Amino acid sequence: MEEQYFDEMRQQMAALKEQLNKQEIVNDHLIREIMKVKNKDISKTKNVCFIAAIIAFLTFPFNTFTHAWSWTFTAVTGAMLIFCTIATIYIHRPVDKLNYMTSDLATVARVMTKFKKQYDNWLHYVTPALMIPWIGWACYEFAWKNNISGVNPLWLTLPILFGAAIGGLIGYYFHCKAVNAAKSILEQIEEK
Amino acid sequence: MKQEEEMFARLAREHKSTIYTVCYMFSNDEDEVQDLFQETLINMWKGIKGFREESKIDTWIYRVALNTCLTMERKKKREVKKVPLAMDVNLFEDNDANSKQARVLHERISKLAYVDRAIVMLWLEGMSYDEIGAVVGITAQNVATKLFRIKEQLKKM
Repeated sequence: MEEQYFDEMRQQMAALKEQLNKQEIVNDHLIREIMKVKNKDISKTKNVCFIAAIIAFLTFPFNTFTHAWSWTFTAVTGAMLIFCTIATIYIHRPVDKLNYMTSDLATVARVMTKFKKQYDNWLHYVTPALMIPWIGWACYEFAWKNNISGVNPLWLTLPILFGAAIGGLIGYYFHCKAVNAAKSILEQIEEK
Repeated sequence: MKQEEEMFARLAREHKSTIYTVCYMFSNDEDEVQDLFQETLINMWKGIKGFREESKIDTWIYRVALNTCLTMERKKKREVKKVPLAMDVNLFEDNDANSKQARVLHERISKLAYVDRAIVMLWLEGMSYDEIGAVVGITAQNVATKLFRIKEQLKKM
């Protein structure tokens, strides 16, 4: 009785594959389109790095006009931006590769666990370690050191703190998105 | 490059039914199956250079397809460039005997957890416990234990 039940399932599977084998679901057009994809993906990663580098270096000439920040601060900000971009690519790389490498599901679980841990570590340790001193320094540079307007420095820190809060919320949104995706994949792989 | 292109085209054609079956079992509508199917082919193309024939081609294809179905699950709303497939079949809607049979199988399998779905599908395809273990990343002994539990679960459905 039991064997009959599973034999029936085997027959259903065989019938499904036979039916699909008769179909021309892979045509030349599809194959050509797919072969174009790889190069696009590589250039996408390169573009992200390139844009980050441009933004980092754009802060230098901008600094010349505003005189709001010192060159040291500008250089550190640029370096920090590049460091964060490289770190993000480094953390994402194993996950991006997962689908097309020869990973089994256990490996996928390991990679996703590591990815989630790295993301959490970044949020809990690296972000405060980088951002708190950076925001403090930015406030000092802008509101105190280079304040020639005579406005109360505390008022001048408000736009910086506001910008940092907006940036923080956007960053936290992307953090949650990535971590939740990793979590849901892990939940599917691991026994519930 | 030419050699890779030829290999990819051959693999895609030879294993289309395997790839499509995996996508069908991990989805609930035709559009999504097509998205998963295309995404799996894209991932196969991306990974074909790294495939050194250390593992069997069937194992590799199953891994790519399963990983794609798993990671695509949360990317459903992402825009996937659609290339029309020359499919004259809609397994979710057609009323011929084969499509009805496929739906019965789909209904049974789709009630299982993700890894269980993969294991039972590979078993129904006639893979050995060792081969199933290689795809999923567990030992043959573990496969046997899991299969026993899955069969019990299926019988209760």
